[in-house]
Amino acid sequence: MQILSLFDFLTLNQWSVLAMFGIFLVMLFRGVPVAYALVGVSLVFIVLGEFVLDPNRKLINEFIEFDRTGITYTKLFANGGRFFGGIIKNPVLVALPMFIFMGLMLDQSGVAQRMMKAMQVLFGALKGGLALSVMLIGIILAASTGVIGASVVLLGVMGIPTMMAQNYSKPIATGTIAASGTLGILIPPSIMLVIMSDQLAISLGDLFMGALFPGLLLGVLYIIFLIVYGLVNPKAMPVPENRPPVDMTVIKETALSVMPPMALILLVLGSIFFGFATPTEASGLGAMGATILALLNRKLNMTVFKDVMRQTLNTSGYIVGIFIAANFFAFILRRFGGDEIIENMVLSSFDDKYLVVLFILFIIFLLGFLLDWIEITLIIMPLMLPVVLALDIPVDGFGVVDNPSIVWFAILVAVTLQTSFLTPPVGFALFYLKGVCPPEITLGHIYKGVIPFVLLQLTGLGIVFAFPSIVTWLPAVAYAN
Amino acid sequence: MSGDTVELGGGLDDVSIAINDPGEMDREHHGWADRMMINVANVVAWLFPLLMVGIVAQVIMRQNGFNQAWLDDAQWWMYGFAMLTGFAYAITTQSHVRVDILHQNYSPEKRARIEVFAIGWLLVPFLLIMTDILTHYAWSSILALEGSDSPNGLHRLYLLKTSLPIMFVIAVTAAWGVFKRNLQVFSEVKLHTVLLWMLPAALFLMTRLFHYGLFWFYALTTDMTWRKITKEPAFSQVGLYAIAFVALLIVIGFVLSRNKSKEA
Repeated sequence: MQILSLFDFLTLNQWSVLAMFGIFLVMLFRGVPVAYALVGVSLVFIVLGEFVLDPNRKLINEFIEFDRTGITYTKLFANGGRFFGGIIKNPVLVALPMFIFMGLMLDQSGVAQRMMKAMQVLFGALKGGLALSVMLIGIILAASTGVIGASVVLLGVMGIPTMMAQNYSKPIATGTIAASGTLGILIPPSIMLVIMSDQLAISLGDLFMGALFPGLLLGVLYIIFLIVYGLVNPKAMPVPENRPPVDMTVIKETALSVMPPMALILLVLGSIFFGFATPTEASGLGAMGATILALLNRKLNMTVFKDVMRQTLNTSGYIVGIFIAANFFAFILRRFGGDEIIENMVLSSFDDKYLVVLFILFIIFLLGFLLDWIEITLIIMPLMLPVVLALDIPVDGFGVVDNPSIVWFAILVAVTLQTSFLTPPVGFALFYLKGVCPPEITLGHIYKGVIPFVLLQLTGLGIVFAFPSIVTWLPAVAYAN
Repeated sequence: MSGDTVELGGGLDDVSIAINDPGEMDREHHGWADRMMINVANVVAWLFPLLMVGIVAQVIMRQNGFNQAWLDDAQWWMYGFAMLTGFAYAITTQSHVRVDILHQNYSPEKRARIEVFAIGWLLVPFLLIMTDILTHYAWSSILALEGSDSPNGLHRLYLLKTSLPIMFVIAVTAAWGVFKRNLQVFSEVKLHTVLLWMLPAALFLMTRLFHYGLFWFYALTTDMTWRKITKEPAFSQVGLYAIAFVALLIVIGFVLSRNKSKEA
């Protein structure tokens, strides 16, 4: 048979897995929702498994020898328990809608506007003071949402008009906003970390604590850059004329505006750090805190409250949609032996284990151009987990952190994704930002402005890569006592 | 205060990130299925504030030495049920994540075609399969009167498990609403167009209906054990019956619509 020669260099299973990803990519580019495309591909392969590759069908057995494909409709019934156990009965993921709720509520509470108002007066004398204000608000409100679109839009809507009114150069203004908006997926409590902890089977507390220093490191790098840039190139970030003097009232107002959101973040992270509450419970406390903040700022009414909870339902709905689809897809892929095929492909790519990690990060960087973090963490991370475990990278967990290499890897992926979302020409954050910019700001300005921040991101990534203790030290301290 | 600062600081109070009710977008095109889904979702959305209060109450009570095991269970019950509802809701609001690099430049008609294909050929078959699987799953839970892992937890776990297939049926209904809304954009909604645009779903549904029909026929007319019934030779033919039946329906639909257009 002619056909059989095709199977000489790849087995039937390998062909199936390649075809599965090929069809998936085609559908993605046509704009089919990711969740539908995932289940669709799985269905194609159920049909193939049931009618073509069924080992009991003698006719086909005579032509093709295959290793262990066998999907029958009866075997699918095992997915009922998987679905219930993986998605419904999952106490850790309860944190997901709660953090989404908290973020949406915080956006509505008006704390960002108040901070912006106070800070731009306080930092007025400093060149680049406005940029610094935006950056600090971005870091403080990183908790706001892990959905990068929301943070970038919030900061853009607030920051762009004021920065333009102060004659900031367009690249530096847009670069600052895009960069500080994406910090939200890294700095805890981020919903991406919640999902990663579920997919990689590591403690959410470890991950939150581990992400804190890398996130702050990036924040500090950004701030140093802005201050230096303001000194070197004062024209790009002019000081406003006519600014009011900085007196006690200004300092007091700044403190008053920064305190409530800071207290909220401390409540969430502190309750985890001191073992007062589990991360899930911390999410509930955070949601309650954000609601109280909105109430105190008189921004909460029934319409806002209802809109926030409906929006929470919608956002958790599309995240869980990919959850459900990826769960089904993984179930089918495993039946084809697809996970092993991919594991072997990646493991055999390089001899050095650190190069393998860099290779995985590079792939994730490229995928970040196309897919949001939701898809990447849910589809790619479970496939990469056995690879990283097999590499057995020595990362010091100080005897306290379980699976320190996985925690380190998760943070590396988070920073990589953040970089990817910022990188021209197709980073997500850039397009969200373009959507809220006035027409005189072009994509070219945004591209130009974001490049220094991409370089800073890569520096941060390099530091975390070279010194894993930055990640593992804090969780080790937090859980040692 | 000088005029300049007013300009800098002014207007910030009005700036807030726009939040809107996802169920109210594009309302004029909604049909009964969409409105049903949105009403269900609007009620279920109240679970989130409830969950929030439950968690806070749990933390406070535990600090005071009253650990309520049932509250732990209640948390993931609420979460699980709300998440499934959210999944169905996001179908109606068409907010499931997609890669829109090319999609955003397509014509409305092409977008509608993609949506109809994605729902009829990809999503609905999956939803039907899951409904079938989860019905069996829930049924075995009901038979065992399954309870909680913890002695003080929420018992009657079978209630939650029974809600799963029901939510999937609701998701199918929601998908039907979006399917119809989009099919109208480029085609008439007729029996044969609907069947063709959701052919895999229709075939699967018919196969299962024939399967269960045959099953109950044997179960009620003979005294074979349930396990043995599906070994009967007739069961290997249900797929063919389904294909024939769906083909027949498509032909009937086509002929009917042609006759009508001739009269008009």
